Amino acid sequence: MLKKIALAAGLFSATALASNAVQAEVKVGLLGGISGPIAAMAPPMLDSAQLAIQQVNEQGGILGGQTLEAVVGDSACNPQNGVDSATKLVNIEQVAGLIGPHCSGAVLAVANSVTVPAGITLITPSGTSPEITGLDDKGQVFRTVPSDDFQGRSLARTLLDLGTKKVAVAYLNNDYGSGLANAFKVEFEANGGELAGYSAHEEGKASYRSNLAELSRGGADTLVIFDYGDGTGLTILRQALENGFFTNFVGGDGMKSDAIIRELGADNLTTFIASSPVGEKSNSLEIFNEAYKAVGGNPDAIFVSNSYDAAFLMALALEKAGGDSSKVSAAMSAVSDGQGEAVLPGEWTKAVELIAAGKDIDYKGASGDLNFDNAGDVPGSYGLFKVEGDAFALQQALN
Amino acid sequence: MELIGLLNYAVFMAIFIGIYSLLALGLNIQWGFSGLFNAGIAGFFAVGAYTSALLTAPESSVHLGGFQLPVVAGWIGAMIAAGLIAWPIGKVCLRFRSDYLAIATIGVAEIIRLVVKSEGWMTGGARGVNKIPRPFGDLTYLYSQLAYLALVVAIVFVVYLAIERQISAPWGRMMRGIRDNEDAATAMGKDIKARRLEAFIFGAAVMGLGGALFAHFNRSITPEAIDPMIATFLIWIMLILGGSGNNRGALLGVAVVWIIWSASEFVTDQLPTEYAIKAKYMRVFIIGLLLQLVLRFRPEGILPEPQGTADRPEVKTLQNQESAAK
Amino acid sequence: MPFMEFVNFYLMPGIVLGSIYALGAVGITLVFGILRFAHLAHGDLATLGAFAALGVVTIFGVSPWVALPAAMVFCAFMAIGIDKLFYDYLSERPKIIVVMSSLGIALMLRAIVQVVWGVDTETYTRGIVRPDDYWGIRIRDREIYTIIAMFVIVGVLWAFLQKTKWGKAMRAMSDNPDLALLSGVDNRKITMLTWGIVGMLCAASGFFLGINTELKPLMGWTMLLPMFAAAILGGVGRVEGAVIGGLIVGIAEETSVLFIPGEYKAAMAFAILLLILLVRPTGLLKGKVL
Repeated sequence: MLKKIALAAGLFSATALASNAVQAEVKVGLLGGISGPIAAMAPPMLDSAQLAIQQVNEQGGILGGQTLEAVVGDSACNPQNGVDSATKLVNIEQVAGLIGPHCSGAVLAVANSVTVPAGITLITPSGTSPEITGLDDKGQVFRTVPSDDFQGRSLARTLLDLGTKKVAVAYLNNDYGSGLANAFKVEFEANGGELAGYSAHEEGKASYRSNLAELSRGGADTLVIFDYGDGTGLTILRQALENGFFTNFVGGDGMKSDAIIRELGADNLTTFIASSPVGEKSNSLEIFNEAYKAVGGNPDAIFVSNSYDAAFLMALALEKAGGDSSKVSAAMSAVSDGQGEAVLPGEWTKAVELIAAGKDIDYKGASGDLNFDNAGDVPGSYGLFKVEGDAFALQQALN
Repeated sequence: MELIGLLNYAVFMAIFIGIYSLLALGLNIQWGFSGLFNAGIAGFFAVGAYTSALLTAPESSVHLGGFQLPVVAGWIGAMIAAGLIAWPIGKVCLRFRSDYLAIATIGVAEIIRLVVKSEGWMTGGARGVNKIPRPFGDLTYLYSQLAYLALVVAIVFVVYLAIERQISAPWGRMMRGIRDNEDAATAMGKDIKARRLEAFIFGAAVMGLGGALFAHFNRSITPEAIDPMIATFLIWIMLILGGSGNNRGALLGVAVVWIIWSASEFVTDQLPTEYAIKAKYMRVFIIGLLLQLVLRFRPEGILPEPQGTADRPEVKTLQNQESAAK
Repeated sequence: MPFMEFVNFYLMPGIVLGSIYALGAVGITLVFGILRFAHLAHGDLATLGAFAALGVVTIFGVSPWVALPAAMVFCAFMAIGIDKLFYDYLSERPKIIVVMSSLGIALMLRAIVQVVWGVDTETYTRGIVRPDDYWGIRIRDREIYTIIAMFVIVGVLWAFLQKTKWGKAMRAMSDNPDLALLSGVDNRKITMLTWGIVGMLCAASGFFLGINTELKPLMGWTMLLPMFAAAILGGVGRVEGAVIGGLIVGIAEETSVLFIPGEYKAAMAFAILLLILLVRPTGLLKGKVL
């Protein structure tokens, strides 16, 4: 048995060696929660990141015509598998930068024990935990999704502006849901709103009707859901609609999911709105949506624009750093700091020319302008989306 | 591929094998030597990880603590806390046999997981505990990993020796006697309940230490790490494949299973890129299939429990009878 | 709180959920009782059944209710096949080996579902169904069908176990395998029959979970622990016990939010289980003590 395993292990490393010897590509790691609890969210996110990489290669490649290749890893949404997969990507695949992981717990563990010690830059499209801000990361950890604070607060203010003074909140008991719900609660109550119900739920249960009944007893007619629209959030929204709990529904960006329209039907969703990131002064989101539709993707899937931006930013940073992985983090801040000539999604050739000419560039992402602060965080710019036809359409910007 | 990269990967695997070894050794005390079907490893793993994290982490507004004790104190604390949690659980649950004990301990582990996730004032909730100090964490990547590996190996070695010593002592012989023939042990006047409880607490403390080593390695611990698949069932697979009742078998099982678990990703990565995502599902399938094959062709484990050696009680009694007959 | 509100929003959902748990728990209790091991692939087999029904619906465009029998037959053969390919070789080994093997099967089944059907959340029929009002009780037609179907399926099974030769043989195996073997019961046929029935029950529980909510690749795995709790609660090897256990766990989970925070809902099944095990280790109905 041992011999067999030794042989198999030998074979693994031999094939890995062979495949490395013939490739002269620039590699980046694409680490996502492919198996595990967010399995439904991961594939569209990886597809949109691959779109960015495809655009780079179609427009002349990276670092003087080399191919950019994404090596996909599976973090399974837990730290154990995340660290394992990241170690393989960084050490065996020798990636120049890491896009992912998707879940906050894996981001924290991977940054602490793999990428920061190894000097590799990491950019996560969906790790929303506030703890990522405070990481002791030598400036090597970035994210294209704002910390939950931004969205929760701006959603609270906008709802109050719209005249909704009394709501109930149902949130998923994980980093994403509880982070958003906390920020929302603080801001909503501080500005005179009333929370008539506020409760967490576990994922994967078949029925949430009693939770909903409990929430609706507070007398609010608006339910705010901080959950994922292709998971528990869908079940909650369905059971609320079917049983007539609440009349208006508000979701965070996780609820702006194509699954909701597909499974519940657009005509049932007339009173449903969801906040989601948008670019402030650009039409980046429209450009991305068109490009993603052209390759068969659905731009209403969760976190796809953040994931695209993360991959595109990683490519820009690599180009600017001249392929030197130790300079990627400085380059990452430089290509999206709000100063320089604007580069929109897909404008790779233009960006390469500007970088070659030594000019400053500023990437305007599909999920916002993405001007990194010192902690590698981005301020959020959000819009409220409503269901129109069979897709989400921008209703108004959040303040 | 650079050799240094390969070395880094090997060192990392060795560290994880060391951490999982503690969990498997802990389980071996409970199942291998005492026959206690504990399916709630994740719970003791979590208690150990969080205790050590809270004792050593700097102050934070989101969770209890700010004690900033030395790491060693955290590890000792982890063992004590896991043992203390195991005491009432064992008191209540150990009266159930076999599968009942399994489901009861799964339940307890799930309840611990929910408490960790929901009681944010204590554990930081979904945000977890961060900025946990890592011994030798200031060194460069490779040296820091090597130093941590040395630490893990030393701890595993000490724990291994302690267990071996305990198992070959009268206590260990009695435990196996109780496991193999409860009635006979009772008839000999052994306090089975107390002995079982001791084994349960001893095993849980070792598991808690494993959790602590994991938390310090990642400098953070979040509820996502207490998933029953990766923190309970995987360890069972390791122990059963390695050979329960044999500490060296347990260690070997951990190494084999973790290498399969980790390296299977390279196999499925050979598929063309358009299958890159499906390849990850195939990887899970392959892990399941390999498990079937090993169970089928090596069901007693790679290193089975030594049978008929001098420290086995029934052999001794046999020998005694024989010598008495002469 | 008005009484009708309690019935509509706490009790009825609990009964529906409990019926789904019950179907799964009956299968678990049969494996426990007759084959004597904890079958950890039970949830994922249910997932496979649910997705098999979805396959029939999408390929032939038929109503999901027509797809249910097809999925049940499919899962019966799957269960028998899994036993022949994997578990059968381990039957002489310690039971823990088979338990580990079933864990591997769970991983394999999940991978198959993810490769064949993808990972998106799916439903049998699009849109939402609002409940009808029957003298103040608000219930959806599919929930009525779920409850009725559960009682019909378990009723048929119960009659089969009580009245037919094969059913009696199965009960004999459960009560005393040595005696059963001595009196000429064919062990291999009984094992096959058990797996066939267990496969059908799995498919049914997965299907009813799917039709009441959505289909996800992890839907069965997350149901596994409550279903085990229900089986042990009712008494191992007792079909009626599993039904009662399932209903209790379902109702307890739904009504638990009245007393404890919503995030602890999942803990409810185990709290009850531990309590029952403490005061009555054989389960509610006198089951086997393994």
